[in-house]
Amino acid sequence: MEWNAEGVRAQLAAAGAPGILSVDPFDGAAARVRFSPESASALFPVLRDALGFTHLSTVGGIDWVERYEVFYLLWSDAAKRYLLLSADLDAKTPHIETASTVWPSANWHEREAWELVGIGFDHHPDLRHLLMPDGYSFHPLQRSFKLHEPEDLEVKVRHV
Amino acid sequence: MSEMWVNMGPQHPMTHGLWNLRVRIDGEMIVEVDPEMGYLHRGIEKISEDRHYNEVITLMDRTCYVAGMAWEHLYVMGAEKALGIVPPERAEWIRMLSEEFQRLASHIMWYAAFVQDLGLMSPFLYGMRDRDLILDLFQSYTGGRLTYEYMRVGGVRNDLPEGFPAQARQVLDWLEPRLVEYDRLCMGSEIFRRRCDGLGVLKANDCVRLGVTGPMLRSAGSKRDIRKDRPYSRYSQVEFDVATADSSDVTGRYLVRMEEMRQSIRILRQALDWLEHHPGPVLADRLPRWLGAPYAPMGREGYLLKRNYPKGVGLSAIEEPHGEACAYVVNEGGEHPYRVKFRSPVFANLSACSHYLVGYHIADIPPIMGSVDVCVGEVDR
Repeated sequence: MEWNAEGVRAQLAAAGAPGILSVDPFDGAAARVRFSPESASALFPVLRDALGFTHLSTVGGIDWVERYEVFYLLWSDAAKRYLLLSADLDAKTPHIETASTVWPSANWHEREAWELVGIGFDHHPDLRHLLMPDGYSFHPLQRSFKLHEPEDLEVKVRHV
Repeated sequence: MSEMWVNMGPQHPMTHGLWNLRVRIDGEMIVEVDPEMGYLHRGIEKISEDRHYNEVITLMDRTCYVAGMAWEHLYVMGAEKALGIVPPERAEWIRMLSEEFQRLASHIMWYAAFVQDLGLMSPFLYGMRDRDLILDLFQSYTGGRLTYEYMRVGGVRNDLPEGFPAQARQVLDWLEPRLVEYDRLCMGSEIFRRRCDGLGVLKANDCVRLGVTGPMLRSAGSKRDIRKDRPYSRYSQVEFDVATADSSDVTGRYLVRMEEMRQSIRILRQALDWLEHHPGPVLADRLPRWLGAPYAPMGREGYLLKRNYPKGVGLSAIEEPHGEACAYVVNEGGEHPYRVKFRSPVFANLSACSHYLVGYHIADIPPIMGSVDVCVGEVDR
């Protein structure tokens, strides 16, 4: 079996994977699979059980300003290949079903993606702050979070 | 007896860094654990979005301060894929050599800290003494002992100095019998065995389910090692075996790391032989000017030129001393990476901690967490 884009596409079709939008070749991984976020909860078990991607390496998010992207990096011990999964989420309320019911290792990665990028994970068992203090209301990896203060911002000193 | 919560950290000899392990205990037994992270969060992924490609390397040394070379290697491979740059052959071998020396240094550091947690003071001093020899080697070709800033997108900063292979072989010849000595001190000690055997058990299927990688996974009998399964750099051209154990406990992780050190020495000898006979460039030619001149360390000169470079996404993965580390670099054509995402192996290993701590005694926490080899720098990033 070939672990390239065509091979992955054929296997996804044979396993009846729902919500697949595109399967493209990707350097360093078997393929890059884009899927629609609504079908996440149905797609994840297929990838784990039918295609053998038993190890979830990481979950991350990217803020593309007009939309968000959430990506999952999976690894198969049998194929010895990575698979990159990604889905576009809308910019207003980005959210997707949690992967931690299928891969328990997603728990902390999703907590991190939630607090740093601002992507909500529905039905996550424990969506608390991980790296940031409790009650921290910003999402630092969003593009609108500037690293430097605006230059025209003057420090106002109050003279008593 | 009523249960209570105990804070182990942020300052506690067990933590090896700044984090807080909250433990709920019933008498001496651990009932529940809740790690509190974030004390060392510096926002490395965010800062990377505001740095030129080569400037991110400085941050990589600080991501894991005992395995700087490995993280530099991870990042430059990801950035090269995103930018479409191919490093020269000799640079690849030097990078592999650096990573293996770093693995040795990191494992010796782990050994020193781990046995000290168990109350054995002399192995700690032996470990620090021997690690220093490797730091001396790093200093001889990078100038740094902890933060190297040595690798570059497109190669490495400078070649090895004259006489380096002979010097390095001398260090390896000294280290090899020392490893036997380390082993006798631990495996030959009744006290060590009674404190480690059968503790912190995490079976292979649980490791896979929970994303645990590296020596912890291999101590459960799995042979997954990115260096073998998905060879990067020149790992496909050297001979080595993947170290495994089958007890999946603290002793198993100790045995795996010890064997890994012996295998690293084996790889290093082959790399030194190759490097001795194959001179050549160590930085790709015709690098775009905005990446900086080879010897201009990290200046901003030339960066302001308008660049017109293809976009791309780079994915790289390495077997870091602690496990599987990945980098995902998004190049949107700007002078900075658009997004850099790092996968830290200790982050995932630590997230599973309730599975290998609950049910043991509170006094077992130092040996178990010692065997995990926590580096908080790369958990919090």
